[in-house]
Amino acid sequence: MQSLWRADWFGPLVVTVVAIIFIAAFNPSFLSPLNIQVLLLAISVNMLIAFSQMIIIAIGQMNLSVGAIGGLAAISFAGMMEVWGLPGPVAAVLALLIGVVAGFFNGFFIAWTGISAFVITLASLSIFKGLNLAVTRAQPFYGVLESVKAFGATTFLGPLPWLLIPAAIAFVLTWYLLNRLPLGRHILAVGGNAHAAELSGISVPRTIMAAHAISGLLAALAGICLVARLQIGQPTIGDDWLILSFAAPVIGGAVLAGGHVSTVATVLGVAIVAIITQALVLFHIDPFLVQVVLGALILWAVGVNRWREVRVARSLKRI
Amino acid sequence: MSRYREIVAALAGAVLMAGVAHAAEDTKVALVPGGPHPYFSAWEQAGKDAMRDFKLGAADYKVPQKWELSQQNELLESLVTQGYNAFLIFPGDPVGSVSTAGELADTGAPVIALAGCLKDPSAAAFCFGTDTGNSAYLGTKELIKALGGKKRIAHFTGFLVDPNTQLRIDAVEKAAKEEGAEVVQVIADIDAPEPAEEKINAYLAAHAGEVDGIITTAWVPAVVSANALRKIGDKRIKMVGIDHDEVVLKGIKDGFVAGTMLQNPYGQAYIGSFAADKLRSGCTVKADAPFKSNALTNKFIDSGTVFVDASSVDNYVASMQGITKDIMATFADTYLACK
Repeated sequence: MQSLWRADWFGPLVVTVVAIIFIAAFNPSFLSPLNIQVLLLAISVNMLIAFSQMIIIAIGQMNLSVGAIGGLAAISFAGMMEVWGLPGPVAAVLALLIGVVAGFFNGFFIAWTGISAFVITLASLSIFKGLNLAVTRAQPFYGVLESVKAFGATTFLGPLPWLLIPAAIAFVLTWYLLNRLPLGRHILAVGGNAHAAELSGISVPRTIMAAHAISGLLAALAGICLVARLQIGQPTIGDDWLILSFAAPVIGGAVLAGGHVSTVATVLGVAIVAIITQALVLFHIDPFLVQVVLGALILWAVGVNRWREVRVARSLKRI
Repeated sequence: MSRYREIVAALAGAVLMAGVAHAAEDTKVALVPGGPHPYFSAWEQAGKDAMRDFKLGAADYKVPQKWELSQQNELLESLVTQGYNAFLIFPGDPVGSVSTAGELADTGAPVIALAGCLKDPSAAAFCFGTDTGNSAYLGTKELIKALGGKKRIAHFTGFLVDPNTQLRIDAVEKAAKEEGAEVVQVIADIDAPEPAEEKINAYLAAHAGEVDGIITTAWVPAVVSANALRKIGDKRIKMVGIDHDEVVLKGIKDGFVAGTMLQNPYGQAYIGSFAADKLRSGCTVKADAPFKSNALTNKFIDSGTVFVDASSVDNYVASMQGITKDIMATFADTYLACK
């Protein structure tokens, strides 16, 4: 129990369970198969968006262009199917490649120039969004293949959406990367103390470039999944990602200065935001008060985890 | 920055005022929406057509990269320096854009608020857009007609910061009340794909049995609702959408959507370009023009709206062109005084 209490994910897990019990008690339809499917669909895509930012938080930076990369990959994916008639898998691989290149572009300029990630990704946000608009002229691509639409709309084993599969794979690989692979350790070491990491023989520039390339890959995957889910290549995909991309890792206890993130807790952070968002709809909250209530509930979720961390720190001091 | 603006305005104004006659071919119209949105894409073709038909120097569609007032303002300043001398603007903010419109007007360029209005007093010659309240009101009436006896309605709408949103909420409430219907839920701030998808699907998953009809008064919620009804295969719930996205039109053909309230973005840009050129060439806005009023301005011109259902969806382009033709036929005589 003591080790559970100390785990990063324990606080968010408690909040998630309490929220589910509370909402289901007042509105039993919350646990209907269709609602679970809707919830899992939101969690699947939002998880990828959160991981994309989490990797960058791990190296102590921030990526303001997560949404712009995801949006560019999304319209590229849909556009390649509509305009060039490419098969879905080929278009997806090329769109993922675009995400990796865009992420690498960020990482390269940050490592090469030494300019802060905030400034570089602010500039690249504009570039990637500009490319998006230049390609689409703000018009959606409608020619999404039926197989892609089916992937985004159908389920397996009852209410489980197929989109959960890429999200689950990304979860396992991200967890494995950060906990088992040298690159993951390098990312956390650079985030914890870049100078110390360099003195230990870690190539900081290479680590930064790798982290941004992975971030771009995950953002592109989120964009592709959203095209499947929305059944349309909307040029505005990604415009709303920034706050969520930070909120979920932070609810999950990520340290914004870098060096410490939790993949499991981030997933729970995503779940908390999705559950709260749904609850506001289910309980008919006045549309003009939705943002206030959402903010207050997120603050509550972060507060619960912070309270747990303080208690753990105090008990460790006593030891 | 303000000094820079003053210099730019003074220089551009001097250049403009130096011209004795403002021939149509000297008119360079900039059509500037608040940000990227499929609603405005018809402005591009309308600008090209206006340039050809009215022999303008240019009528170019210029989109700010994001829905941010600062980005729109910077784009407008840059367009002044590029020689554009007539501006059709969807205001990024009905109050915040007033000063920008004033600066543009100081350069001698006519300014028309297009698709959305500026708060009076402003330098805009007039506001030319959809009477959003009326469109939402008529759409709700059409929905209730399609519903017959069952009358519980959900209303999905756009950005809360858009002043039109409150007008739409009020209009839907008013129409529902008149017909003895009940608006059981309003979901707003969902004119972007991700939140729209999440909230509309969550609502339908939990409350589909509690509503008989859906009225949508913004582009993205209309698209997402049409897709959601198709996905759950529910033709019991009647829906009236807005605008002419392919998804909504296909939903009408396939029976998942009862109809849609077409707006007239093409006509706004086409007639707006014509009017801007006339204002440059010496015409003035008639003092006794029959303007309508709305919450923002007393100089409002309705660009028209029309309901399209399964019987008329195949001819929706003709319906839109019909509105434009009707307004264009009397526009100059009704609103402009030309020597």
